[in-house]
Amino acid sequence: MKFTLVKNLSQDPLMRPILLGLLLCIALYLVVDLVVKHYGFGISPSAVNLTIFGNEDEYIDAISRTSFLEFWHMEIFFIMMILLTLCAVFIRLSGGRKRDKIIMNIMLLSALSSLVFLALGYFVSGHFIEAYSVLFILWHLTAFYMVVFSIRNLYRA
Amino acid sequence: MHREYQNAIAIFSLFVILLVLSGVMIFIEKIGLSVEDIMVYYLGSEEKFIQAKSFQGLLKIVLPHTFAYGLLSMVLLHFLIFTDQRNLRRSKILVFVIFSSAFLEIVSPFLLLRGLEFFAYLKLGSLIVFNLSLLYVSYLLAKSILDSSK
Repeated sequence: MKFTLVKNLSQDPLMRPILLGLLLCIALYLVVDLVVKHYGFGISPSAVNLTIFGNEDEYIDAISRTSFLEFWHMEIFFIMMILLTLCAVFIRLSGGRKRDKIIMNIMLLSALSSLVFLALGYFVSGHFIEAYSVLFILWHLTAFYMVVFSIRNLYRA
Repeated sequence: MHREYQNAIAIFSLFVILLVLSGVMIFIEKIGLSVEDIMVYYLGSEEKFIQAKSFQGLLKIVLPHTFAYGLLSMVLLHFLIFTDQRNLRRSKILVFVIFSSAFLEIVSPFLLLRGLEFFAYLKLGSLIVFNLSLLYVSYLLAKSILDSSK
């Protein structure tokens, strides 16, 4: 990628607005993902449970195994690509401090484990859905922090 | 490999494993892992009340996968540049194998629909080769990270 060749990103007149645009798009994705999940798949454990397992009393069908796997597959792909891109920018713009590395690792591991817990929630036990919900929120928050931190560093003199 | 990128790449490799796992699970769930299952899925079966897939239906599946296969392969393979695998002949072979198996995996259902049953074998073979190659590259990256952190 081009920005790996530019030594000081915050001083480069072309790379700075390009990366700002990318970071704003990632921030927008994170917000819209929360909104879409809230109205669709669900974010809270009860909402996710309802989507996955359905409810006979409310005549809501459970999600089919194929639909779940397709949803899971797409989530994995989108999350891995977006988070890798965010990490590449964040690493370049952070000063290599230990705290930044910890935050990045928390985000990556919480995103990865949220996907694992989602599958465990569907195939093993609904109890894993609670862990999924917590980790889903956690990786969104840490990713959003990384976006804000990167933008701040991009425009810091 | 740059130390700060190591964790991100290591976790990315784990994502790849998860992606391969989910892809294989979908394939087994929707199609099946035998050549007969593949032929029934694409060509249909009167006995099982399964309709043959249409050209347009295949295009809908192929379109996102074409981009996704290319992007995933490029991202994963380009990490090899930062490892001691960079100048090895094996890496060049891996690049060739991954991209050509991805291409065959995408194209073979169309040829199967044309009545060329041999392509059911090619579909299954290319799927297995593509996924195993992705896992092998992930293994090489993980090994390189572990070796450099010793």
